[in-house]
Amino acid sequence: MSYDDVEIEDMEWNDELQSYTYPCPCGDLFQITKEELKIGEEIARCPSCSLYITVIYNLEDFLGDSKKHVDPSKQQPVAVA
Amino acid sequence: MEETERIKSIEEEEEEIWSWGAGTEGQLGTGKLQDEHKPQLIHSLSSFGPISHLSCGGAHVIALTPGGRVLTWGRGTSGQLGHGEMVNCLHPKSVESLEGIFITHASAGWNHSGFVSDTGYVFTCGDGSFGQLGHGDYISRCSPVQMLHFKARHVEQIACGMRHSLVFLKGDTEDLIYGFGSGKRGQLGISDDKQKSVSTPQVTLGFENVKIRSVTANGDHSAAISVNGHLYIWGRAFHGAPDMYTPRRVTADLLFSQVVLGWNHALVLTGDGEVYMLGRYNYNVPTGAQKANGMKHISEDKGVLQRVLDFNSTKVVQIGAGAEHSAVVTADDGSVMTWGWGEHGQLGLGDTNDQTGPHVVSLCNEQSRKPCVGRVYCGSGFTFVIRTYTVNSSF
Repeated sequence: MSYDDVEIEDMEWNDELQSYTYPCPCGDLFQITKEELKIGEEIARCPSCSLYITVIYNLEDFLGDSKKHVDPSKQQPVAVA
Repeated sequence: MEETERIKSIEEEEEEIWSWGAGTEGQLGTGKLQDEHKPQLIHSLSSFGPISHLSCGGAHVIALTPGGRVLTWGRGTSGQLGHGEMVNCLHPKSVESLEGIFITHASAGWNHSGFVSDTGYVFTCGDGSFGQLGHGDYISRCSPVQMLHFKARHVEQIACGMRHSLVFLKGDTEDLIYGFGSGKRGQLGISDDKQKSVSTPQVTLGFENVKIRSVTANGDHSAAISVNGHLYIWGRAFHGAPDMYTPRRVTADLLFSQVVLGWNHALVLTGDGEVYMLGRYNYNVPTGAQKANGMKHISEDKGVLQRVLDFNSTKVVQIGAGAEHSAVVTADDGSVMTWGWGEHGQLGLGDTNDQTGPHVVSLCNEQSRKPCVGRVYCGSGFTFVIRTYTVNSSF
């Protein structure tokens, strides 16, 4: 049973682990790599225990770097208060 | 003074500190990087004298001495130990930059820490990426930095959760709670609308004319107890119900004295020594089994308050909650009982089994038969107990 459903935007990129991470209740981190996300993997595991979470994300956001970088530029500038 | 002379005895206090559970970041203070399934008697703190208060976070611990000194150990990779560097520390070590400041209260969050001095100053360090340090930015700090926002106020308490913090202060006319850090699940209680993150403290709504006794935070939850025994909760919902963006009073015909929070449950102690639970454990234990043991439904309110029974018919004097486990100290002899998730040995029962109801932890020592006062403190996946024995030496 998945411990939780977590949106990708709530996960943190960890340079050292080269993974998106989210706190695990054991004290360690749930982890998933960009490569895993690209092949549609949605389970992020904790290396220290049996728990895992389901990652909510758009597969298209991780398929090819170009698309992700092009999209924001097409949008209207957003005013920042 | 006369009283003491007449008794003609010296009352000496002896203190024991025990720890168990997840230990791979050095958080158990054993000097080892391994989980412990049985309680370990900790000697690494004895050179610092008695410990008056502990706070356990994601994988680090803050200890306070009666003299206001601060010791920290465990995971330090976000700066949460306040040692001026971002590394783990296996042994309790003094927070040098707070020396000379009398710290009376501290809170350890997932990866950040908060400290309050006797003069009402508040300091934070550790992970600041959600604004949870309250310095107006999203920067992490490896030494405690005073929160200038409260410079002219007298802060009573700070409570650190996973990605947010709460500060409680007594104002001239009313008590105030402030929230900062991630507010995505409503844990700051600062707006009826969804808030992402704030890095400057904002007033938590709904406490007008309420006298606050204490605030607490863990996971994406927040809670407060008022002086007249009312319980308020806000933040992430406990059972798939909508998140609570502003504090809600838990309606129950009970007077509460302490609340502790896990990541999916809250434990509350009443003035009569009864324990109630909100929510449930959220790891891979079948839902049916979670309700089977020692639980009695009290109300079918939005939040279901369940009475936790089976404390060997004795009252409970203190409670603690890890991310997915619970612990209590019973009134009769200071016994410690635990239940919940046990995969890392955080229940201290000698194995890695989960428990749906309270079980007595065996704290074996030659002194363990003497009457004692126990206090229990839970981190995410680990547990600490301080036991104080009063030794009478008569002449």
